[in-house]
Amino acid sequence: VSRKRIIPQRAPIIVTSAAVSKIKSLLQQQPDMVALKISVKTRGCNGLSYTLDYAKEKAKFDEEVVQDGIRIFIDSKAQLTLLGTEMDYMEDKLKSEFIFNNPNVKGICGCGESFSV
Amino acid sequence: ATAKYLSFSKYRTWTYSQWRTITSAHKERESEALGSKGKDEITLTDDCIKRLNEITTDGTFLRLMVEGGGCSGFQYKFDMDSKLEEDDRIFEKDGARVVVDSASLEFIKGSVIDFHKELIRQSFIVKDNPKAEQGCSCGSSFNIKL
Repeated sequence: VSRKRIIPQRAPIIVTSAAVSKIKSLLQQQPDMVALKISVKTRGCNGLSYTLDYAKEKAKFDEEVVQDGIRIFIDSKAQLTLLGTEMDYMEDKLKSEFIFNNPNVKGICGCGESFSV
Repeated sequence: ATAKYLSFSKYRTWTYSQWRTITSAHKERESEALGSKGKDEITLTDDCIKRLNEITTDGTFLRLMVEGGGCSGFQYKFDMDSKLEEDDRIFEKDGARVVVDSASLEFIKGSVIDFHKELIRQSFIVKDNPKAEQGCSCGSSFNIKL
């Protein structure tokens, strides 16, 4: 039996230009950090919620996304749930937040923080 | 033996009544302290004041409302506003103004308003609401303690 090599067909996530510029400015403020890392945690009323952290180095099973000069690592556990997601950034006077438009999501919490796949 | 018993019961009633006076006095003092702390006040944190001073230009203020909805029954709604209504209460500190209408205030008396900063999101939040129970994980929705 020959082992099939899995080649990713497309980038696991798409980052919008608003998010790119925000991540750029965030990383410039933290010179010793190389990327942002997205993970999912089991929490919230719909089961899962995203977390975002600075990352110094790429962990073994992280997926790396390079787009317009910024790097994002995706935690191995988050890869399955995040596939095909669009990462956006929204800012207004009352709040500013990263939004994940995830096509795999079946249900979200009223506040949009937690979701289920 | 009888004398001994009597003195013992006397001793017991005395300590019991003393205990009653002590505890009731303590309870009174406790409720007084709670009252003077401003049970129906809204507290603004430093982060909240800083952010409000950044975003509010002349005449605008932060309006906090409580609405039905969300996964736990009630939810908080923040908005920028410049028009005061008749039943509004204004909480002002260091130039930052938060306005709550009297109906909403009933649900959030004693709460703290904070500007929460996290990498993934920054937003105004209501925290330590003494009237809220089993809120949603994101904190935007809550249930009222009965």
